[in-house]
Amino acid sequence: MSEQQKPQPAPAPFSPEDMARRRRRSVALALVLGGLVIFFFVVTLVKTGPAVLNRPL
Amino acid sequence: MSAAFETRTDAITASTGEARDFFALLKPRVMSLVVVTALTGMMTAPGSVHPVLGFAALLAIAVGAGASGCLNMWYDADIDALMTRTAKRPIPAGRVLPSEALAFGLTLSVGSVLVLGLIANALAAAMLAFTIFFYAVVYSMWLKRWTPQNIVIGGAAGAFPPMIGEAVMTGNFGSHSLVLFAIIFLWTPPHFWALALVKSGDYARAGIPMMPNVAGPAATRRQIVLYSLVMAPVAVLPALMGFGGLIYLVVSVTTGLAMIGLSLRVWRRTEGQPAVKAAYSLFGFSILYLFLLFAVLIVENGFGLMWALPKVLG
Repeated sequence: MSEQQKPQPAPAPFSPEDMARRRRRSVALALVLGGLVIFFFVVTLVKTGPAVLNRPL
Repeated sequence: MSAAFETRTDAITASTGEARDFFALLKPRVMSLVVVTALTGMMTAPGSVHPVLGFAALLAIAVGAGASGCLNMWYDADIDALMTRTAKRPIPAGRVLPSEALAFGLTLSVGSVLVLGLIANALAAAMLAFTIFFYAVVYSMWLKRWTPQNIVIGGAAGAFPPMIGEAVMTGNFGSHSLVLFAIIFLWTPPHFWALALVKSGDYARAGIPMMPNVAGPAATRRQIVLYSLVMAPVAVLPALMGFGGLIYLVVSVTTGLAMIGLSLRVWRRTEGQPAVKAAYSLFGFSILYLFLLFAVLIVENGFGLMWALPKVLG
């Protein structure tokens, strides 16, 4: 069997503590992304001003 | 790259870093100093900006500074692992993978520059991009391991934020932010060399040519005094140029004299515990000094507390 075909050893499974840490990280990332949505929305409103409502029907 | 560091990172197949580890990659204490200095650049600049856009611009500058800190930690992970002061950082401690830190730093760099360009102007965005490049590439990858003048030239990266702040407000640079740049630029050597005097063993182990390791402690102490003697009068300039008031004049003169006094103490005390204590005192006070100067300028210019003095310069 060539070097490339050798089966790789399975990575060590995450411990419950590792999983909890990854979960907390995912929650933090979701909060940051949500915050960015609000950030861009507010900045767009401020930059555009009242003209944001000014569009042809 | 050190063998110890490679072994440790090879053992990690997937990251278990938490949000706080990624936040630590941004060097939050440096970021807070950048926020204060950039805000000062904005406050002392002529013109005005919508508070929401001002806050958003400041956030983009802070994130850009954090991104450059992250890229610095990514590149320096091998030497960080060798120094007691930095061995617990997320990458050498094995909590964050180098590849994750690189991706994180690059993403935030591009994002912060784009956002600043969209909410402020192209010059401010270009300045932020240059600052990130200067810190991550010119300082971290080139100067830091090559010359004892590393933190002198690299200090420019920390001195740019007031200029970015002024560019946000006016789309240009003026004499105000240039003076603020000069204050931070001249402040950096006494600040860092005070720490380097105490941690010279750390730097020697990591092979970083800091001034005390290359020119010796005596030459470093002399240069600390010289830089302080030049920095303290420059720090009074805002009062003479009319964008610092009476409070600033009093604070800059008294704290400037204290900086000179502490530098002279570092110069005189060269042996044992008194020397270490003198160096730590200067290092600690220098942080307070810079925060105070810029905080007073923010208060005077932003909260209408300016008791103006006759304009002497500018």
